Amino acid sequence: MSRLYLYALLGGPPSGPLGAGLAGEPLRLVRCGDLLAVAGDVPKAPSIDAASLRAHDATVRRLAEMVEAVLPIRFCTLVDDESALAGLLEPQRAGLGEALALVAGREQMTLRLYGEGLHDDAPLPDAEPSLPGPGARYLAARRRERRRAHGSREMAALRRGLGALIVDERVERHDMPPLLASLYHLIERGASARYLSALETIAGELGAVRARATGPWPPYAFAPGAIP
Amino acid sequence: MKPKARRRLRNVLDEADASLLDLVDHVLNKGVVIEGEVLLGLANVDLVYLRLAAVLCAADRLERTNESRRRRARS
Amino acid sequence: MKPRRTRRAGVALRVRELDALRTELERRVAAETPRWNADPEDVQRSVAKLVLTLVDFLRKLFEKQAIRRMEAGTLTPKETEALGLALMRLEETIRDLARRFDLAPEDLKLDLGPLGRLS
Repeated sequence: MSRLYLYALLGGPPSGPLGAGLAGEPLRLVRCGDLLAVAGDVPKAPSIDAASLRAHDATVRRLAEMVEAVLPIRFCTLVDDESALAGLLEPQRAGLGEALALVAGREQMTLRLYGEGLHDDAPLPDAEPSLPGPGARYLAARRRERRRAHGSREMAALRRGLGALIVDERVERHDMPPLLASLYHLIERGASARYLSALETIAGELGAVRARATGPWPPYAFAPGAIP
Repeated sequence: MKPKARRRLRNVLDEADASLLDLVDHVLNKGVVIEGEVLLGLANVDLVYLRLAAVLCAADRLERTNESRRRRARS
Repeated sequence: MKPRRTRRAGVALRVRELDALRTELERRVAAETPRWNADPEDVQRSVAKLVLTLVDFLRKLFEKQAIRRMEAGTLTPKETEALGLALMRLEETIRDLARRFDLAPEDLKLDLGPLGRLS
């Protein structure tokens, strides 16, 4: 009983042949409403090893070259058949459509921050007195607190230095010193060299924090809910 | 994740170099999640397997699809 | 994005950095299944911990969505106020109940493994 192994969602039809997947299986397009998924029939789940992981990423990268927008699907995602896939994608349709629009023509750089700790950003302005009720003020305060928890002086410096190169950003804080945070930056395709040289310029402003960049990657971190 | 798969993954991680770790972060920790599974245990025994067919998503995003389902049901 | 080795800026990762990344990923993708074991010495506290953890998980989930919709402008002022008040009271209640059972905020974190932790 074969199952459908899923690789990515595409924003439009690919410009060339899909080729083969990680089990050597021929890839095909599955249309679910407005969404296009790339899938392959496999006899069983792939074994979890370096080769399979690399083959999955290599397939996603190959697809990315054939289409403007690609949303990678998590490794080892298997469904019973096309109608099962359609049912699973349906509730997420709106978010997936938006994500595909966001990543069109773009790719991702991954920036990891290492050190003993991040420093809080500049103190935020006082509570907005213009908000009428205690409930609204509470929500606004919670929003500020979330932003503060996700930000830092170092991240602010990075954002300033990288400027307009960053189309969008996702942040993951880590509680695992010296690993402090991972920043996932969406950039225009082809901008990675400029990104890396801008990074070298700002590296000195980060104090004791070290920034390590890798990429470009397909936009893994910009799938909706990829970062909960 | 089944125990055997988890053991294999741990082995991969134990021996991984920087580039493979980065790869794991992207392909296993990011990307579109189409179904999630959670295994819940009690007293060190795995008892309940939750297969989430629709990963948690925002309610206001569902309105459109429910509305279109209602329209289709009426016609 | 041609298939290529990932590039790195600056020097290679230090050993401690590599190990930290490894441990963090192990925690995120290869963690043991969430297990609840009632402590026979203090079953009440174990139950309280489970219940409050689940409720706090919902609270964080609701808060995230409420803030998102507030920022997107898809809530009326009345809805914003009502949601804010409800969330505020929920947070206070959870905190009070937790304190009564000698539970700290850290005790109420729920890790759903591959589905992520809600911050």
